[in-house]
Amino acid sequence: MSNLVIGGSTLDASWFLGLAAILFVLGTVGVLVRRNPLVILISIELMLNAANLALVTFSRQLQNYEGQLFALMSMTVAAAEAVVGLAILVDIFRTRDAEDIDDLSELKG
Amino acid sequence: MAIAVFFVFAALAIAGGIGVISFHQPIRSVLSLVVVMISLSVMFLLLSAQFVFAVQIIVYAGAVMVLFLFVIALLGPARELGRGRLRFQAWLSGIFVLVLFGLMYALLQGVQYRQPEKADLSIFGSVQWIAVYLFTNYLYPFELTSILLLVAAIGAIYLSRKRTGIDDL
Repeated sequence: MSNLVIGGSTLDASWFLGLAAILFVLGTVGVLVRRNPLVILISIELMLNAANLALVTFSRQLQNYEGQLFALMSMTVAAAEAVVGLAILVDIFRTRDAEDIDDLSELKG
Repeated sequence: MAIAVFFVFAALAIAGGIGVISFHQPIRSVLSLVVVMISLSVMFLLLSAQFVFAVQIIVYAGAVMVLFLFVIALLGPARELGRGRLRFQAWLSGIFVLVLFGLMYALLQGVQYRQPEKADLSIFGSVQWIAVYLFTNYLYPFELTSILLLVAAIGAIYLSRKRTGIDDL
């Protein structure tokens, strides 16, 4: 148990970590269950955001700057990932109608 | 007060996360993700990470989500058709997710917190405070991210170029 005093109230760091865990698991469900490639990319963004919340929580608990800097770096990586992923998706959709991720299985051995 | 804010926005974030994975139209998933992003930005503010809060709103809820909306507008509304061709996918996903959640729960129960370093909380997370570390200790990773963004931009331009002949395929 680790108490954070925020604006006169006392919150526990594990609440924030629990929220991050729930959001990460929801993102995992989206990646595993959904079939639309676009929604899978959106779920990956959700997982990255959950990881950011955990990083910032530990940064606040330790009163250390490295967690926040790492969260900023991971936001940069997430932006780059979204740009390249969406460009690949548009390129695929231009040549064929791929509404199901299982349609894209030409690389199968 | 802070406790009430936490629980309201935590409930909003979880509702948005459920919306992301349960709506059938991609545009509703994107708008649910915007709800999650804004709720998480409030969490960052609660954790006194002001600069990360601003970046979350501007870069994520602003730029990245608009990019997703543009792609959806470009591709047109696609609805998901029924089930896929992998058998037992829903069951296997359910088992995997239950195991993952149990693992995370066990991790949360056993986490050992170190003593805080007693930083000055009045400037913690402000722009000046972040900038001092970003441009001294972490200058090299900061410059590396510029190369990463350059590579991503060149890659996006290359992928979306116009193809004229058979040689370009």
